[in-house]
Parts: sequence; C-alpha cells; structure tokens
Amino acid sequence: MMPARRSTTMLANLVTWGLVLLISFPLIWMVVTSVRPQTELFQIPPTVIPRAITFEHYIKLLQETPFLRYFMNSMILATSTTIVVIVVGTLGAYSLVRFSYRGRETLAALVLFTYLLPSVVLIIPLYLMMVKLGLANTLTSLVIAYTTFALPYALWLLRSFMAGVPEDLESAALVDGASRIGAFIDVILPQALPGIISTALFTFILAWNEYLYALVMVNSDQARPLTTGVMNMLITSFNIEWSLLMAASVMMSIPLIIIFAFLQSYLTRGFGAGGVKG
Amino acid sequence: MTISASQHRTRNPLERRYALLGVLLIAPTVLILCAVIVYPLISAIYLSLFSIYTPTLKGSWVGLGNYAQVFGSSGFWGALGTTVTWTVGTLFLQIVFGVAMALLLNQNILFRSLARSLVLFPYFVSTVVAVLIWRWLFNDLYGILSHLLIQFGVVDMPVDWLGKMPNAMASVIFVGAWKFFPFVVIAVLARLQTIPEQLYEAATIDGAGVFGRFFDVTLPQLKEVLTIVILLRTIWDFKEFDLIYLLTGGGPVNNTRTLPLIVYQQAFGLNQMGIAATYAVAMMLVMLAFMLIYLYRARRQAP
Amino acid sequence: MDSNSIWLRRTLMSGISRRSVLQGLGTAGLAAGLSLPLAGRARAADPVTLRWWSPQASPDQLKMYQTQIATFEAAHPGVKIAFEPTSDEGYPAQLAAAFASKQLPNIVTHLPSFAAQNYYGQGLLEPMDDVIKAIGEDKYFPGANDVYKTADGHYCGTAIGNTAADMLWLRKDLMQKAGVDKAPTTWDELRTACQKMQGGGIFGAPLPYGLNSMTSLIFIGFIHRAGGQIFSPDLAVAIDSQPTYDALEFYKSMREFCPPGATNYSWGESLTAFVSGATATGIYAGRVLANVTSQNPGIADSVTCATYPTISKDVASWTFNDFPSVFIPKDIANMAETKAFAAFLFEPKGYIPQLLAAPGHVLPVLKTIAEDPTYLADPIIQKYKAEVTLMAGAAAAGKNLGYETDKHKPNLKANEIIASNVIAELVQRVVLNDEDAKATVGDIAKKLEGLMKA
Repeated sequence: MMPARRSTTMLANLVTWGLVLLISFPLIWMVVTSVRPQTELFQIPPTVIPRAITFEHYIKLLQETPFLRYFMNSMILATSTTIVVIVVGTLGAYSLVRFSYRGRETLAALVLFTYLLPSVVLIIPLYLMMVKLGLANTLTSLVIAYTTFALPYALWLLRSFMAGVPEDLESAALVDGASRIGAFIDVILPQALPGIISTALFTFILAWNEYLYALVMVNSDQARPLTTGVMNMLITSFNIEWSLLMAASVMMSIPLIIIFAFLQSYLTRGFGAGGVKG
Repeated sequence: MTISASQHRTRNPLERRYALLGVLLIAPTVLILCAVIVYPLISAIYLSLFSIYTPTLKGSWVGLGNYAQVFGSSGFWGALGTTVTWTVGTLFLQIVFGVAMALLLNQNILFRSLARSLVLFPYFVSTVVAVLIWRWLFNDLYGILSHLLIQFGVVDMPVDWLGKMPNAMASVIFVGAWKFFPFVVIAVLARLQTIPEQLYEAATIDGAGVFGRFFDVTLPQLKEVLTIVILLRTIWDFKEFDLIYLLTGGGPVNNTRTLPLIVYQQAFGLNQMGIAATYAVAMMLVMLAFMLIYLYRARRQAP
Repeated sequence: MDSNSIWLRRTLMSGISRRSVLQGLGTAGLAAGLSLPLAGRARAADPVTLRWWSPQASPDQLKMYQTQIATFEAAHPGVKIAFEPTSDEGYPAQLAAAFASKQLPNIVTHLPSFAAQNYYGQGLLEPMDDVIKAIGEDKYFPGANDVYKTADGHYCGTAIGNTAADMLWLRKDLMQKAGVDKAPTTWDELRTACQKMQGGGIFGAPLPYGLNSMTSLIFIGFIHRAGGQIFSPDLAVAIDSQPTYDALEFYKSMREFCPPGATNYSWGESLTAFVSGATATGIYAGRVLANVTSQNPGIADSVTCATYPTISKDVASWTFNDFPSVFIPKDIANMAETKAFAAFLFEPKGYIPQLLAAPGHVLPVLKTIAEDPTYLADPIIQKYKAEVTLMAGAAAAGKNLGYETDKHKPNLKANEIIASNVIAELVQRVVLNDEDAKATVGDIAKKLEGLMKA
C-alpha cells in the first residue's frame, strides 16, 4: 500500500507543478523578455534562453518616457478610489447588516443587480455628466466613474464580513452604555478589520487595472493612468519595442507583486467570504 | 427608504432612532449609486432615442428609430452570437480548468501556497498586461509559441493566432480562460476544504473509485458554489471589453466583435452616440432576460 | 429621481431643440462634495498652457519638439507648451471625446488633411488663413495648401510636411541573391520578385490585412493603382467597379508572401517587419531610413525604395500622402498664443531639426527649407539622396481619400470612413474569408453610402 501511495503523491506533485509552471509561463516570459537586448528579440528563429541581460529598458522607461507620471496618476487614482469606496461602503454595509428599516433587503438586492450593468451602458452618460460638471479629463472624474463598479462590489464584500462579526459583542458594548457609533468604532471596526483590508485590496486592484473608463474619459497625459498611458505610448506606428513593453508590464505589476508577497491571505479571504458565498 | 409608519406602533423610541441612524449610514451609498448608476442608466435610455453626433453633441429626436435600426440589422444579432460564443467558450474552459486545478491544489503537494499564488496571479494582473504578454507570445515572427510548435514539429509555418478564424476566437477564448480561471480555482478550493472527510470514506467503503468519488461526493457538494460562480462569471464575461478590444479589436472582419466593442466603436469611432446608447441598452436587456431565466431555473431546481 | 423625470418630461414636451438634448445631463444629482481635491486638472489656471497633440512622437522627434518648445517658451514668458502624443489608430476617438467635452488641445499636428477637413466641416476648427500668412504664403511649394481649401473659401489647416506613405521598400542584397535585376514596376513583377525573394525565414512583403486604418489607407492606394477610385469627383460612391476587383485579386494573391500575422498588421508591425529584416520588401514612408540606420545597420547599405507598382504600365502611379497637417480647434483659450506657436513651428531653426528627427519621413513643405544647406547636410539625407528625392516627388503628387484626384471635391466624411474600417473589412472579407469579391464590394458600397449620409 505504502509505495503506491507515495507514487500517487509524486504524480500529483508532478502534474500539479507542471501545470502551475505552464500557467505562469507567460508571466515568466514577460520578465525574461524585459531584460533582453532589443537585438536579441529580432532573431529568427527566436531563442529561449537570453544570452545577455540588460536593464536598459527599465532605465529608458523611467528616464525617457512619461511612465513615472502615469504611475503616479494610477497610484493617486487607485488610492483615492479605495478610500472613498471603503469609507462609504463600510458605513453602508454596517447599516445593511445591523439596522432594520424598510427597503433594506430590496436595496441589498439592487446592489447585486448593479453587477449586471456593463460599463459601456453607463460610460456615455457618465462621460457627458463629467463634461457638464467640468470634470472631464481629470482624475476626479475617474474616481467617480470607478465607484460605479467598485462601490457595489465593496459593499457586497463588506456586508458579508460584517455579518460574520458576532452580534453579542456589539450588544455587550451597548449594554455597557456605548452608543451605536461608539460600538461600531470600538467593536465592529476592529473585528471586521481583516475584511476591510481585504476589500480595500480588491478595490485598489480593480481601480489600478481599469482600462475602458480611462480610455474614454481622459485624453491628457496630466491625468492618464498606466493602463491607457502605456498602450498609447508604446504601441505606435513608428516602432513596437517588445522589450520596452514587457518592462512596462513588469513595472505595472509591482503593486500587485507587493500585495501578493505580503498580503496574499487577505485576497483569498475576500474570495472565500463575500465574493462567492454571497 | 424612510421608516415605515406601520412599524412605528410596535417600536420604541430607541429602535426608531436606530432605524434613522441606519438610514443615515446608508445614505451616502444610496446617493452615490443614484448619481453614478441610476441617473446614467436613465440617461442612457433617454439618449438612445436621439441621433447624436459625438464631437458636437448635437442631436435630433428619432424616437424608437434607433431600436428599429439596431434590432433590424444583422450587426446586432451577429454580435450577440459572437458574444454568446465567447462567453460560453471561455466560461466552459474556466470551469473545467478551474475545478481541475482546485482538485489538484487540494492535494497534499509541495509548496502548496506558492503554487496557489502562482495560479492566482493571472486573475489579478491588469488586462492590459495580460494582453501585451499574449500578443508577444502570439507574435508571428518572433513569438515563442509558434517557434516551439515548429521545433516540436507540430506545424511547419508560424501560426496566425489572432488574424483569422477560427484561430482568433479560439485565442481570445483561451486567453480569457487563462486570465479568469483562477477565480473558479479559489472559490472551489475554499469549498473543497469544507467537505467532510467521512463522505469520502463512506464512498470508498462502498467501492467508489477516484471518478466515482468525484461524481458522487465532490460534484454534488460543489453544486451550490458552482451555480454562483457560473452566474457571476457569465455576467462578467458577457460584458468583457478590455481583453477582446486589446487582443483583436474585434477582427478579423467582425468575428470577435462583441456587443461592448460595438458600443465603443459606434460612440467614438463612428461618432454615433445615440445608436451607441441603443446598443448598450439592448445589450442590457439581453443580460437581464438571461439572468431572470437563470435565476428562475436555479430557484426551481433548488429544494 | 423626481427632478429627473420632470426634466425628462419637460424636454420631451417642449420638442427637442438641437442643443437641448444634453443640457440637462450632468447637472442633476452629483453632490459637490465628490469633487475631491485631486491633482490632475488639465487646465492650469495661472500660466498659459497650450496643449499640443501629434501622432508623430518617436523618441527622437520628441526630443526635437522639446527643443522647439523650450525656444518658444523662452521667447514667450508665461506660456507653457505641453506636448501629448496621440496615435494614428486612436486619434478619431480621442478627438471626438475632446471635442465633446471641450477639453481640447490648442494645436494638433501631423494628422491627415482629411481629418482637418472633416472637423472643419462640422464647424469645429479655426480657419488658418492668418497663420499661413504669418508663415509666408510664398515660402510654400506651389499648391501645398490646396488640400486644406474649404467650401467657404478658407483654409482648415496648413501642411506641416509631405509624406510618401506607401513607398515600395526594397533590399538590394536580397534582390541580387534572388536574381531580381530591377525594382518591380507592375504587380506581376512585384509578385514574382516577392516569390523569388521569399524563403529562409524571410517573407516577401508586409502588406497589412488587419482591421485597422492602415489597411484601409493602403488598400485605397491599390484601388487607384488599378485605375479605380472610391468616390467619383462629385463624391458618389464609385468603388463597385472592375479596378476594385482587380486590386482585391492581387492583394489576395500577395497573402502567401506576407507573414502569417499580417492579418493584424498596422503601421508599426509592418515597418518593424521590414526593418528587422523579416520581409524582403516594405510598404511605408521615409522613417524606414532612420529606423534601419539605428536598429539594423547591417542592412542599411542595401535599402532603397521605388514608387509602388501599378497593375500595368498604362496606369499611372498613385502615392498616398496623408498631407500631415496643422490645425487649431475653434473657441480654444489663448488663440493668439496658439497661432503664434503654430507659425513658430515653421521657423527654420526649429523646423529643420524636427524634420531631421526622422529624415525623409516628413518632407518639408517650404521651398526655403528643402533648399536649406543645414537640411541637406544631414547624413541620412546625404546617404539616401536618390530615395529622398524620389519620395519628395511622389509625395508632392500624392493624394488621399479626402482628395482622391485634383478633380475631386474635398471628402468631409473621409475621417469617419477610415475610422469605420469598412475598406479594411472589404479586404478581410475577400482575402481572409474568401467571400465573393463582387458581392462584397457591393455590400461595402452600400455601407459607404450609409456613412456619407450619416
């Protein structure tokens, strides 16, 4: 029995890791391409192992292109969106979970319904709205636009995290004479904090990766985030430098890599709790 | 959203104040959602009744003329078919890959958390990045994919991955599956870990093999989570724009041009904002109809 | 919600006046509290900032633009110029959004002449007559601004250069090896040459078959080189004719000599394919020279060009010149400074280095510049003298969809026709999908009629 069991485990390991590597190959190839000299890329047939390693593309990206400006824009954009959505969403979710008033359930269902709305339906009126408000072409307009998908999503996640906080804790605080808001700050917030962090990470990533709204609403380098900035800057009619594109891709993924390295458990928690269980 | 009068009688003042506080707390959410979702939604329907030239925003009333034009054109129905093909194709692969990978990762393998991170990564990476990587892999002259296939003797010419049918649709579906299947993996994995071990032991005693255990124990246990996963992913895949727009731009001809791409092209390529809004509303109606049917059937099947 | 429905009803009842459709949009709802104190407003309040857009934005060109900008800023204290790249494929959407939102660039350069005509026709551009005067009408080559003449007797833009966008690029080394003794002049000769030179990982030609503007623009050239046209001089759709079928047949027969991925090629891919040595011929403008020199010097000595072959010796050549333009949107702030900057772009000190950032690509439209010793002293212009002269001649006689022949009225819909990709769709349906040429051309003709009416 024993040897058979061991060989099954070996096989499982082999198959799983084989598949994992296959799935991550595109990402590995991105990194490999980004450190190869441009001349090596234009070899026919292509070679798998780089013969020389260079960081010239990263340096070029940082020194000769507006990459850093786009990066800053994306950072401001994703952070602002996250703050707005988390503040509003936390209060809203608390209300949905712990208060009773008419229309509460309907409201929760309507929030789920907004999942249905394609961005393209909202984008035209939203765009015109920003024009009227004089906000077109600003990061603010994108923050507002991003709440359309980030707020319902965050609300739904936070709602299930908050539902997981034992009601007795809050009741105990209330009996001790705390106000509802006091109990919320002292009891609910600390208890739900991991969930809030998890939701914040999701929101940040959603905003960081958004493309369509940025494509339509912003046409100035002053407010262009990375997604549209990189495409506009590097896919051109005069040259397509793949090594530069791959270097840009790696750098675009830096926040993600950091989150993965240090905060990954929060991401999986987000999945387990709200995203799917519903 | 106000406190109902009928409930006042049964409630003490504290409860009433609580309810008021609850409404107050949800108010910002409701206001924002009204401003950025409800209002634009109504506007979209309103705009769809006009013919509008995008750069000048000058419009004239055409009533339901846009709808007659959209529903009467082969463009809409063709794009709907394309959208359904893409959605069904990529969803199918996502579910199959996702469940299979979750089962594997549920085994006791070495460095399991590292493996899980690597599998999860494509889901969180920006679509722009994912598309750039794949366009580079698919490159006809310098792409590694064609090169490897030629080396292993599978093909003798570089493959045109994105430029002709059915390759283009297959590539888009495949890249979509690569990008989005981790969602299924994580959802299913979380559920797998809660299936009681006794169920498997009982099945083994009853003489069930690997496949027997999968179909008799695992799958029924996964049914609930899969229902929700399929629902969410169908919605998200149906309205996917970035991936297809950046990978093929809708080509060749219009074979991968899904509904969201048409909306964008009408509004900002052809400068027909009214028609674009019409397409958008029509697309939403289709999704709504589909959702209602799905939910109705799911509810009827549930005990 | 209530104010919305009232507004809806009111607008519907009052009958829709032209502009009122969107009056109500955007005004309702959104609380002022949402306008976060974020950086990133494009319009800076205090110093005058002029936004400058161009799709010609390679790193070398950018450097020269920055020098020009610095010189202008030094001479005009308080004025700042912000350069922002747009793209050949992306500008229609970006400009549509910019016009709609009134978040406009002050000056747009290097877009095709038909873009200027299109926007002017919609009342969106400022006439450029006084800018042309400031530059000096007599300095231009004769007729250089003809494509910008408008129905109301103004100029909707001015030429900043000429481009011979569809030259046939050749590799003398490969021609010799394959026994091709002269540059092909007819389609049959071209096909034979490509066939002979293809092999060993090298393809014959990088013709675009993608669903994009390049395919449309290039294929329009092929129709003309078969003796046909897209529109008649008074702008009736004239695409449904024998030359179009001939062009399709030839274009289809060339598919086997193009790289597999040509089905997604646009300018960048097509250029890179020739420059990297993956194809024996190329179809592009003069930028090939600069790119070959810097990226693949090994083939630089063997590169030459010719006007693109025609169907037979009886049909005259037709070169696609997009007539890179300068135009200024109407009603922008700081019009005086903008016009001063537009004229400044043509001053030799800045204009020459700008042109020389991609020698031979954007060719001068001012006689005074073309004869200037500083311009002629450039090593690439020197090295490829014959090629540059050929391109200059071809470009000067060049045409585009907005201006198919001298007899044609300006086509104000050319921009949307290109953005709609219908011509590229024709190519894809016939070449890739094997659809019947005649039926497809008929279908496309109907679509063109629809676009002209829209």
